[in-house]
Amino acid sequence: MCYSFAIAVTDNSMANVFWSNLFRNGDSELQVVTQLWRDTPLFADIPERHTEALCATMHLRDFKAGEVIFSQGDQGAGAILVLSGEVRVSADKAELAQLRDGDFFGEIALAASERRTADATATSASRLVYFLKQDLEEWIEHEPRLGARFLMNLSATLAQRLYAANQLIAKQL
Amino acid sequence: MSWQQSPHIRTFKLFALVVGVCLASFYLISSVLIPVIISFTLYALFQPAVTYLARHDINHSLSILIVLVLLTIVSTVMIAFALPALVEQVSLLQSRLPQIAEQLEQLLTVYGDKLSARVGADIDASEIILSILSKSSSLGQAALFEVSNRLVNFVIIFILVPFLTYYLLKDFKRARNEMMNWLPNSSFELGWLIYHKVSTQLQAYTHGVMLQSLIMATFCSIGFTLIGLDIPLLMGAITGLFNLVPYVGPIISILLSLLVGAAMTPFDANILYLSVLVIVGAQIFDNLVVIPAVVANAVNLHPVQAILGIIIFGSLFGTVGIILAVPAIAAGKIVFKNIYTDIANANLKATP
Repeated sequence: MCYSFAIAVTDNSMANVFWSNLFRNGDSELQVVTQLWRDTPLFADIPERHTEALCATMHLRDFKAGEVIFSQGDQGAGAILVLSGEVRVSADKAELAQLRDGDFFGEIALAASERRTADATATSASRLVYFLKQDLEEWIEHEPRLGARFLMNLSATLAQRLYAANQLIAKQL
Repeated sequence: MSWQQSPHIRTFKLFALVVGVCLASFYLISSVLIPVIISFTLYALFQPAVTYLARHDINHSLSILIVLVLLTIVSTVMIAFALPALVEQVSLLQSRLPQIAEQLEQLLTVYGDKLSARVGADIDASEIILSILSKSSSLGQAALFEVSNRLVNFVIIFILVPFLTYYLLKDFKRARNEMMNWLPNSSFELGWLIYHKVSTQLQAYTHGVMLQSLIMATFCSIGFTLIGLDIPLLMGAITGLFNLVPYVGPIISILLSLLVGAAMTPFDANILYLSVLVIVGAQIFDNLVVIPAVVANAVNLHPVQAILGIIIFGSLFGTVGIILAVPAIAAGKIVFKNIYTDIANANLKATP
C-alpha cells in the first residue's frame, strides 16, 4: 500500500472527506514522522510547524520482507526514512548497515543527481517515508531561509559521513 | 541475451506503453483539449507568482485569486481591443481584394510579358488573377464565417480556462502525488525522476517561449510602426504569437503581413519588402540573441528532429500538434532515455 501525507492529512477538501476513514490514523502518523525527522541532524533548528508542513508532502511506501528498495547504480530521487521495519544496506554483498525506525539513508540524492552507491533491501515488512528532491525544491521555493538552513544541515551531514568513510579507509590501510 | 531481453526492445515496449497511455488520455479529453493546454500553460506561467505571494504570508487560495483576477482583467482588455480590429481587418482585406488583384494583374502583365519573351511560353495574367481572386474571396468569407462560428467556443474557453487554472494552481500537486502513488515500488523513484526532469524542462520551455514571443511581438510592433504598416500593434502581437510555432510560424507571419500590406491604399510595394525585412530581421535577432539567452537548453533538440516532429504531429493532430510537437518530443526523449538507463542498469547487474 502506498499514499502520501498530502492526501491523508491535509485540510477539508472533498478528497480528504472521501479518504478520511481509510487514513484516519494519518494525523498521528504524520506527527510520528515529523518527530523522527526532527530527531535527525537534517532538521536541526527548523521549527516544528515548518518541518510538519514539509513532512506532509512526503510519500509513504510499504515494502515486503526481502523486497529491494533500490540497487547500486539506480538513479536516486531522494532520501528515505525508516518509519517501521528493518532495512539492510550493502555494497558488493558486504553489509554496511542495518537500519531501524528513525534511521535515514540515500540523502546524497537530495544534493546531487548521482547514482545510488549501495543496495538497500527490506529485511522485514517495512514502512518507509520518501523525502524527494522534488518536494525539497518546492519547499525551498516557499521557505527560502529555512531551505538555506536545511541545505547547511545536509552539507554538514554529508561532510560527517565523508569524514567517517575516510577514517574507515585510513584504518583499513 | 535474447533479442526480446535486449534493453532497447524492453525500453521500446515500455515507451510505447507510456505513449499509448498519453494518447489515450488526450483522446479522452479531446473535447476540452485546447482549454486544458491553455490552463496548463497558464499554470506553468503563474505558479511562480502564486508561490511569491504565498511566501509573503498571503493565503494560498487568495494568492491564486489575486493572480487570476489580474490575468482575467488584462486578457479581457486585450481581447476587447484585438478582436474587433481583427474582424475589421479581415473585412477590409476582403473589400480590397479586387484592387489588390488589379495591381497584381498589372505587375504580372509587365513581368509576365518579359518572362514569356525569355522562356517562350504564354503566361495569361488575367486567368491567374481570376483564379487567385475567386479563391481569396471564398477564403475571406470562410474566415469571417469561421470567426463568428467560433465565438461560442471562444466564450466557453474563456469561462473554462480561469476555472481550470484556479484548480490546477490549487490542487495540481495533490492530484499529481495521488497519481504518482499508483506506481509500483520498483518504479516509484524512476517515475518521480522522470516527472521532475520533464516538468522542469517543460516549465523552462514555457517560460522561454512566452518571453521569446513577447520580445518578438515588441520588436515587430516597433518595426511595423516605423515602416507604416496598417494595425502595427495587432500584427506585431500576431507575429509574436505565431513565433510559438517553430519554423512554420514565421512563414505564416510573413504571408499575413504581406496580405495586410497589400490591402493598404495607396498600394506601395516597398511596404511589402519592408514587412518581410522586419520579420526576417526579427528572426535573425531571435536566433542570435533571444534564443541563446532565453530558450537555449530548455529543449535540446536537433533542428531536423524538430522539423520532422512538427510535420508528423501537424499531420496527425493539426494545429494543436504543431504547437505541442517540440515540447512533446523533448519530453519523449527524456522519458525514453531514463527508462533505457534504468533497464540497461538492471540488465548489467543481472549479468553474472
